[in-house]
This record gives sequence, structure tokens and C-alpha cells, in this order.
Amino acid sequence: MALSREDLKAKILEKALTGPKAQLYVKDFYACDPESGPRDIKNAANDLVKEGKMTFWSSGSTTMYAAQGRAKDEENR
Amino acid sequence: MPKHDTPLLDELEKGPWPSFVTDLKRQAEKKPECFDILGQLELSYKDKITHWKHGGIVGVFGYGGGIVGRYSDVPDRFPGVAHFHTVRLNQPSSMFYNSAKLRDICNLWEKYGSGMTNMHGSTGDLVLLGTTTPNLEPLFYDLTHDLNQDLGGSGSNLRTPSCCLGRARCEWGCFDTQDLCHTLTMHYQDEIHRPAFPYKFKFKFSGCPNDCVAAIARSDFAVIGTWRDDIRIDQAAVKGYISGEFAANAGAHSGKDWGKFDIKAEVLDLCPTGCMWMEGDTLKIDNSECTRCMHCLNVMPRALRPGLQQGATICVGAKAPILDGAQFATMTVPFVEVKKNEDGEFAEIVEVIEKIWDWWMEVGKNRERVGETIQRIGLPTFLKVMEITPAPQHIKEPRSNPYVFWQEDEVEGGWERDVVEFRKRNAQ
Amino acid sequence: MGYDPANPMADRITDIGPPHYEQFFPPVVKKNYGKWLYHEILQPGVLMHKGESGDECYTVRVGAARLISIEHIREVCDIADKHCDGYMRWTTRNNIEFMVDNKAKVQPLLDDLKSRGNKFPVGGTGASVSNCVHTQGWVHCHTPATDASGVVKAVMDELFDYFTSHKLPAQVRVALACCLNMCGAVHASDIAILGVHRKPPMIDHDAITGLCELPLAISACPLGAVKPATAKNSKGEDVKSVKVNADRCMFCGNCYTMCPAMPLADPDGDGIAILVGGKVSNSRSMPMFSKLVIPFLPNTPPRWPETVAAVKNILETYAKDARKYERVGEWAARIGWEKFFEKTGIPFTIKSIDDYRLAYDTWRTTTQFKFTSHIK
Repeated sequence: MALSREDLKAKILEKALTGPKAQLYVKDFYACDPESGPRDIKNAANDLVKEGKMTFWSSGSTTMYAAQGRAKDEENR
Repeated sequence: MPKHDTPLLDELEKGPWPSFVTDLKRQAEKKPECFDILGQLELSYKDKITHWKHGGIVGVFGYGGGIVGRYSDVPDRFPGVAHFHTVRLNQPSSMFYNSAKLRDICNLWEKYGSGMTNMHGSTGDLVLLGTTTPNLEPLFYDLTHDLNQDLGGSGSNLRTPSCCLGRARCEWGCFDTQDLCHTLTMHYQDEIHRPAFPYKFKFKFSGCPNDCVAAIARSDFAVIGTWRDDIRIDQAAVKGYISGEFAANAGAHSGKDWGKFDIKAEVLDLCPTGCMWMEGDTLKIDNSECTRCMHCLNVMPRALRPGLQQGATICVGAKAPILDGAQFATMTVPFVEVKKNEDGEFAEIVEVIEKIWDWWMEVGKNRERVGETIQRIGLPTFLKVMEITPAPQHIKEPRSNPYVFWQEDEVEGGWERDVVEFRKRNAQ
Repeated sequence: MGYDPANPMADRITDIGPPHYEQFFPPVVKKNYGKWLYHEILQPGVLMHKGESGDECYTVRVGAARLISIEHIREVCDIADKHCDGYMRWTTRNNIEFMVDNKAKVQPLLDDLKSRGNKFPVGGTGASVSNCVHTQGWVHCHTPATDASGVVKAVMDELFDYFTSHKLPAQVRVALACCLNMCGAVHASDIAILGVHRKPPMIDHDAITGLCELPLAISACPLGAVKPATAKNSKGEDVKSVKVNADRCMFCGNCYTMCPAMPLADPDGDGIAILVGGKVSNSRSMPMFSKLVIPFLPNTPPRWPETVAAVKNILETYAKDARKYERVGEWAARIGWEKFFEKTGIPFTIKSIDDYRLAYDTWRTTTQFKFTSHIK
């Protein structure tokens, strides 16, 4: 059984907050719930951004996710 | 902000082509930060190196695309461009405008940005060049509330789709490029504004195989117009070209004397399949041999038109060289009618797109374009995933190596064998 | 009510997409949509499209810089208001098109454009050099190996006569991308001007830990040349960093894209490569990639004379030698690339022989070749 949206979000946020990597690709979250499809995972991660708990980091060509304040960036230096 | 001396850039005010330096100077009278653009660019001309740094987390809240962050690495000398972020506006399909709309955009950009733009960026967006982080949210508010417009894509998103002008002002549009482009753009707003994929994904729509938006070279998902019945011939117009009444290639060669139009040399002999011939003064085409390359239509637009059974070919996986080398899109769906259903959706096209995405989101590596995924995993697997019947049209020629990845269920008796029994018959 | 910083999410509107295209169609376009019969190019830069209804749409195409100001756009709007009921469009090659519905309106429009100095050159149709599409360069990009707007200005000044005329064997598409990422996708252009780096990245051990995710920098390298390493920062402390195997570096700059502490741009290392013979259209031959014929020319701002001369030489050699309708790549394929090098006088170097992925496809595996001056 795939996790509920809220449980999935909690797992994703935990990984973003406490994992060794500050910035993560959406694929890095796939392991949070092998039962959830890529689309569910990306929607859950994007929800966390909407809630202000995570932020996007973009090189311009690639986009990654980071817990709020963890992204390595000019604005956070 | 003071004016800087720009002796090197001033050299680019000379010559007959429009000068961006002259234009920047003109804009600087109203928007003095343009003096700092010129100043920093002059420094780059002196140093022969860029003075811009990466952005990263800047954007409008909730969007993971449409804004690309940029900072000066010499902000003390050029404070007007210390922050210089890019705003990508999703252009209207095929880039027609009226002056009222463009003046609104100009006013918005005068209020919140540098006044400099790109009309348009390589992907097709109307690019507003240079604003600060604090200006982003107010700009977005005015853009959506007052201009009724939205941002385009960037990063690992669906990038802003683009199309040729097609049926708006071209006789060769084999499907409604604007309608398809606009409808899919609206359908996939979430994918354009928020990351969804291992890397970027581009849609481009060309109305005919001349491919004026370079869909086959630049887009992960290229829809290119074509037809499957007979080229329509106006024999009287053919005679008009032969007699010299009409200029060949619509007059495209008028600047040089290439001699009298010779239909054999200029049309029949240049046909890649040799499927055309003259019987007296009547042009004949064996349409079953035609590959719809467009050459004869281009040369004699008054005489030849695409057939009436029109639709599109879908090619998948084009990209620029980074990383595995450049790829053209691979012909995947030979023919599809580009039609809306009763819900106003291009359901058949959407189904193809989402099959590609579901597979690529699962198996694509980070920063791997779908064309590279297909290359890595193989076209046979991709066709199976797409549930497309393999056809000779999918290849230029059959493989020349025999290393077929046979499946166990394709082989009589399967793969399970008893080596003890084998040794009874075949000694070590 | 405008934006309220105290309440940024109030009345938020998202995902409304672009404005619908149809409201921007001139009446003659709207009326004849999907019912066009044929077109003619009346003179360089002036097209006439004939509708089944008998209506005619006259289009005047003018070149523009890609980098333009809102003052310039407002001037374009003034022209459109005066002559075209306020309508206009941009092409995919950064040209501007003014459309009128009557032949009598064309000449006044042309006269008006001409009266505005060099801002609105008419051309870019038929067998011409159309506008050179390009990327940002030093005006706005963080990874470029050359400028874009300036190189293009210098090249278009030199090729101007080919923009405003129809004297080439076919259309010639010139494009510039300021680094190997090719966000300008110049890989299928008749003549491509490409910024290239030639020095491996430096590593800023002071900044790398704060600025970069090391695994990202390492995995960004297509050739596995970036490895984790312990290094000393300028204070003499051990820091987690990376090292680069310079022998394996292909100078693509992917590591720098993912890690700003690995800059590779350099005044002497960077410059321009020239690729030729690409095409996008399916007309006659299949789409073709551009091929590298000049591996390096130096960055020489403000007018890049070496690059301008190289482009002009290729264009004019082609113009003299190619058959009617033949694109640059079709011409080179017909005469053979050995002849291309001989006729253009471009020195052939080992750098034009592919040793990257899929390289074998470009090696000659036949005894058929032409004896040119290259064979001693």
C-alpha cells in the first residue's frame, strides 16, 4: 500500500531535513516510498514547497529540492 | 548610477546591423541600471571573461520555473546589476502580438526591471532580462492580475512549448500548430511551473517537414505535420513555372541569374525518391514512393500543395550535444491525426506524452534527456513501452550486429536445461 | 489593490498560462486562417501570402538584435500602430514581421522603416543569410566561453549584404551558442559559431564546501574526471573537496553548472569553434548535424575579426561553388569534406576527427575518396 499524501510528505521532509545531502533530486525521494509512483512523489515534494517547508534550487537547467534554509546559494551565504 | 566609458563597446555602434549597444545607451537614459550593464559588459570585453554568477533559489513562491537567478561578481563597481535575474514570460503561440499587449509588458518591465529583453529566448519565451529578488513577487502579482499572463518553464520542468506560425500565415500547415501548442500549454501548467522530471523536457510543433521551429533538432517531443494521401497538383500552375510566368521557389533566388527554370534539374532530379516525371507537359507523381520532403512544394508553391489527409509524425528525443552528443528526434509515431475530442483535448497526443513521461520519470537518470534514456536502454524497449508496433519506418537500416536480446519465452523450450543430461551426450 | 508584502499570498493567481494567440491575429490572418493558397517573395524581406478568398497578406520582415530594449519595442509598436492596425509578430530567428492587407500599404511601411536609421533592416527571406540566432554570452550568462550579442553584431555587419539580398544558392542559417551547453542548439545550423573552453576547472577549496554539494559536482562529469579528495584551503585546513583529472576533461563545464566553486572560464583558454553543414529541414536530404571544421579561434573583442573572416570565407566559398537549392551541408557532402577543406583553405587538423562517443560513425570506411592537397 502506498503511503498517504501526508505520510509521504513527512518522509520526504525528514529526508530533506536530516539526510546527508542538503540538495536532492526528485528521484532521491523515490526511495521514501517504493509503493508511490514518481508522479505522487513529485506532487508531494511540490506540495511541501507550496507550504514553505522546502525550497527549489535551480541551476537554470536542472531543479533540485532542499529543506527551507539548507540550499547552498548566494542568498543564503 | 553613473555612465561608464565604453570604448570597446562603442566599436559595436558602427556598421549596418542594428546595434544592441546603441539600444542599451538609449534605454539607459530612462533606466540608469543599463549604464551598469554596459559598464560590466565593457569590463568583460576587457577581461575576456564573464562577470555573472549562478542564481539558485530565487523564484516566485511555489514555482520552480520561470525565473533564473543571476548575480554580478563585481557588484561594488556595478550596483545597478548586483541582482540581475531573468524572468521568462510564456509567449503567445507563434509570437503574434498587438501593440496594446506589448506596451503593457513594456510598462511592467519599466516598473520592475532593467528595461532590457530578449525577443525571444531560444526556447521561445519572451525573456525579461535583469531584476532584483525583492521585485519578483510584485512583478508576478501585476503580471497575473493586470496582464493576465504567466511565466514559462526552466530547470527540470516541461519547458515553454513553442510552434511555427502554421495555418495563421502559411499554406503548408498540416495541423493546427497554435491550437495544439496552446491547448497543451494550458493542460500542463503544473509541469511547466514545477519540476517533475529527471531533466528538462521540450515540446515543439511544426506544421510541415520544413520544420521552422527546429522541432526535430531541439525538442524531446516533436510533432511535425505531414499528410498520407496524394500531393495536390495544379497542372496549369506547373506550366506557369515552366514558362517562367511564376518565379521558382516563390522568388527566393531573385538576386542571382541562375538561368531559365528547368523543372527536370530543379525538381524531378532533386527529388530524393525520384518519384516524379513529366508526361508531355503534365507533371506526374507516384505518391506511394513520396517521402514528403517538401522540396517540390517549396519550389512550386502555386502548383503543389500537401494532400488532404493531414496529420503529424511524432519524433522523440532530440537534444543539443551535452552530454552524450547531439541527437535528432527519432521517428516514433508515423502518423497521427491531430484532432481535439469533445472535451477540447488532444487526447491521442496526451496519451503518447504521458506514456513517455511515466517511463522516463521511472528509468531516466538525473540530468538525462529522454533521447539519452532511449539511447541507453534501446529503441526496441522504448517501442514496447510505448506499445507501438515496430515497423521498418523506425530505422534507417536493420542492425548489422546479431546480438539480439532474446527473451526466454521467445525461445523453444525456455532457458532451463540440465547440464548432467547434457554431459551424458556430450562428454567434457 | 496591488501586491501586499505583508500578505504575499492574498488573491494569488497561478497557472493561467499565456494569453490566447488568436486575439493577436491581424484581421486578414484571422479571416484566412488555414485557407492560404501560396506565397511569393516580392523582394528580399517582403512576402505576399494569397488566401483562397483572394485576400492578400503582405509581410515585411526586418532584422533585430535579440537583446532589445523596451524603448525599441515601443518604437516597433508605434510602427505597427501606424501601418498595421497595431499587429506584429516575431519569428523564431528574432526577426520582426509587420503585416498589411494591401499592396498599397507596403511602400509607405518600407519608407518609414528606412527613415529610422539602421534599426530596421528589411530582409532575411529566401536564399539569404537570415538573422543569426544566439544565446546570452557575457551580457547575462554565467558559463559562456565568449560573448554572443557582440560577435553576432560583428558577423551580421559583415554579412549584411547577404541579409538584404537573394543571391546565395539556398538559405544559410548562422547561429551562435556561447558555450558547449548549446542552449542555442547550434548543432543543426549551416554555419555555427560556438564558444569553447580549453582549460580544466580550477577548484576553489575555500568556497567549495559552502557552495556545492560535492556528489553533484562529481556526478556531473560525463567522463568521470571529477573525484572526491581532501584538500587544503587557504588557511591550511583540511577540507572535503574534489580533484580533477585534467587529461580526461572535455571542457564541457557541466561541473561548474552544478558547482560554482569550479570555474573554468579563462581569457586565453576560451574562444570560438566553427561548425558547418547542419540543417533542420527534411527538404531533399535528412536533417544533418553541424560538423567541426575550425577547432579554435581566439576571443578578440570588440569585433572578433578572425571569427568574422572565417564565417565569411565559408559562406562565400559555398556561394561560389554550390548548386542552386544546395544547403551548405549538402554541398560539402556532394563535393566531399576533403574538397571542402581544400576549397575553403581551412587547415584540416586532427581535432576534426571524432574521438568522443559514437565517433566511428564519422570515420571513413571505404576506399572512395578524392586526392586533394592533403594527400602528400
